[in-house]
Amino acid sequence: MLVVNNLIKQYGKQFAVNDISFELQGGEVVGLLGPNGAGKSTTIKCIVGLLRKTSGEITIGGFDHLSVEAKRFFSYIPETPYVYDLLTVQEHLQFIAQAYGVKEWKTKGNELLEMFELDDKRDKLGRDLSKGMRQKVSICCALLPDPQLLFFDEPMIGLDPKAIKNTKKIFKELKEAGKTILVSTHMIDSVESIADRIMILKDGRILGNDTIANLKQQFVQDEGTTLEDLFLELTKDE
Amino acid sequence: MNEIRLLFRKDLFILVNNIKLILRNPLRLIPYGAFVAYFFFMYSQRMSSSGDSKGKDLQNIDSSGLEQVDFGMQNIIGGITLAALGILIFQLYSSTKRNVSFFKMADVNLLFTAPVKPANILIYYMARSILPALGGSILFIAYTASQMAQSFDLTVGNMAFLILGMALFFFMISPIRFLVYTLHTKYGVMEYIRTGVIVVGIALGTMILIPGLMAEKFWQGMFSWIASPWFDFFPLVGWSRGIASYLSHGNLILSFSFIALYALAYFIVVKLVIQFAGYYYEDVLEATNTNEEKLEKVRGKKEVDEGTYSLNSKKQLALPDFGTGAKAFYWRNYVHSSRQDFHPLFGIYSLGMAGIGIVLAGLSNFDWFSHKVFYVYLILMLTFYFMAGIGRANIGDLKKPFFILIPASWSAKFWNMIKLDVVQTLIFAGVLIVPSVFLAHISFGLIPLFLVGIVVFYLIGFAINLIPQVALDEGWDRKLIKPFMIGGIFLFGIVPSVILSVLVFMITQQFVWTLFTCVLGMTLVATILLHVTLDVLKRLEFKEM
Repeated sequence: MLVVNNLIKQYGKQFAVNDISFELQGGEVVGLLGPNGAGKSTTIKCIVGLLRKTSGEITIGGFDHLSVEAKRFFSYIPETPYVYDLLTVQEHLQFIAQAYGVKEWKTKGNELLEMFELDDKRDKLGRDLSKGMRQKVSICCALLPDPQLLFFDEPMIGLDPKAIKNTKKIFKELKEAGKTILVSTHMIDSVESIADRIMILKDGRILGNDTIANLKQQFVQDEGTTLEDLFLELTKDE
Repeated sequence: MNEIRLLFRKDLFILVNNIKLILRNPLRLIPYGAFVAYFFFMYSQRMSSSGDSKGKDLQNIDSSGLEQVDFGMQNIIGGITLAALGILIFQLYSSTKRNVSFFKMADVNLLFTAPVKPANILIYYMARSILPALGGSILFIAYTASQMAQSFDLTVGNMAFLILGMALFFFMISPIRFLVYTLHTKYGVMEYIRTGVIVVGIALGTMILIPGLMAEKFWQGMFSWIASPWFDFFPLVGWSRGIASYLSHGNLILSFSFIALYALAYFIVVKLVIQFAGYYYEDVLEATNTNEEKLEKVRGKKEVDEGTYSLNSKKQLALPDFGTGAKAFYWRNYVHSSRQDFHPLFGIYSLGMAGIGIVLAGLSNFDWFSHKVFYVYLILMLTFYFMAGIGRANIGDLKKPFFILIPASWSAKFWNMIKLDVVQTLIFAGVLIVPSVFLAHISFGLIPLFLVGIVVFYLIGFAINLIPQVALDEGWDRKLIKPFMIGGIFLFGIVPSVILSVLVFMITQQFVWTLFTCVLGMTLVATILLHVTLDVLKRLEFKEM
């Protein structure tokens, strides 16, 4: 579904992403972990086309990641949920439905609004929403086109406990529906239970890319080691 | 073309919601109504007296004057042309620093990642940018035309060409700026473009200097080239002048020809932009983000970047505490100021401005130089500090939670927030006025008057900035009511003080009494505004994004 080959993103002489390669098969859920400044957001932004890659090759569903065909495959939930100030919640969904060509969007939209407790806020303007609510709108917009591949960039930031629970539930449902997910997060427990694979990034490089069990076996020998312990072990400064 | 339909529908929703928002609180329309009433009043007054004055003008024409150059008109045309050229060159130069963005961050998150063609989005937004240019031009022309109604026939045609001339100029600047940045990202030619812009700027400067130096008097010759009819063919600035000059020549074909030139240029620029922009999303990210932050600052949602204009940002500091409670604000400003300049109380900017004043005071001892230049400089400094008060950057402090949370009285917080500014202003004023008074052998009374005056002017500006920020919720109201407030304060506070001061000057012929009258009047205005400020401060509430 997603193939990244030798991706490099350079700002001047500094490498934000330093020659990384990985693949996501259809139906796979992969957690992207790493300390601040590791290059997680940059990697995702390069894949979705918000940042220009310095070099490398990225394909989504067999198409170049910048093509319109590739964009039909995925949705992106950004770290900072910007919405249109003067569009209502409902109009945001309508806008996305048009952009992605979703025909019967109202029923799906209502379900999403209900799930994220936005149904009573459907006529509220974007500017009147709190940060958490904007994040919920952002997630609803991403889920509306029912994409095959989803990129979540720190999706839990600013959400209330119920919304976090719902997002985790959605991860599970999406996984069961065979969707492919790449989620970048600091909330390790949120991916531990559902991720098929974990990628740990530091200084723009991939330190580990495998199932949690294999990574534990590879890097930590102690019994009862959690993913958090593994993450801290891998990303500790030398 | 699905993208165009999609974006058009989105903008339609936004327009409808905007109208709903206005209708929900019709009281917001009062200041706008006042604007309309003002324009109507000015038009009706000027139009009614226009017939008489035009007749008188015709009678007053001197037959020998027909062959003479009208230097007044030449300077007006030249001045406007120069201002437009300045804007053009500045805009071109700034485009070599940062890209222009037509987008919002919501576009980045929701639209850029959607299956839409980047080129179509760009075409739509570039075309749509005519709307703000047109709106701004209509407002500007409505305002200035109300002043000109006496001298010109303001027919629909005249107004339309004036508006078009101005709107097309501003409309064209953005795509050109975008093209410049795009060329850079594609070919890395920024240095060449920057050099080119500088060369054009210098060449235009010499077009004023050379005829000025060649003429008998500089001011008679300075605009003879750029105000001449052939300059109408200069791209953008000249074309706009050619369109707007329909007012004087009434030649439809000529004005439409210039519009056609614009159309051709726009077509070419758009074609080039689409060809070179490619996958431009990253190029506009930074500019879009910056624009969004600016917007949030206007709304008071985000603090101003403290690194702005900072000369000494990496300075390591070990300042002791200044005290508890509201004094923390003074300490914070002191730390900020220490990093902004080379000394927190008196920096390089102040030194430069004081230095110029002292030099002018020294020169006034010579016969060929007048005291008046120094007095004008003092007035300029008062105006400068008034403007500095209006543009006070860290007004965003008020919207930070700690401004509300710190246990101290509102008046103490307010005082500590402005204390450093007042101290800096007084030191600057002292350094400027004390040696200047001795050097120029002028009245000692100017020392206390200038010291008080500069603080009073600063406080008036500061209050004008602060009151709408705290008292008004809507960002647009703030933007529009602020000039309205400034107008009111000018009309009922500053203008009467200035008129009184001029009268006093005519009677006494002494600047010191003039300044005394002015400072007295302005102190009265400042007292009223400070009272209002302290009152509205109590209504302050924290607003989070």
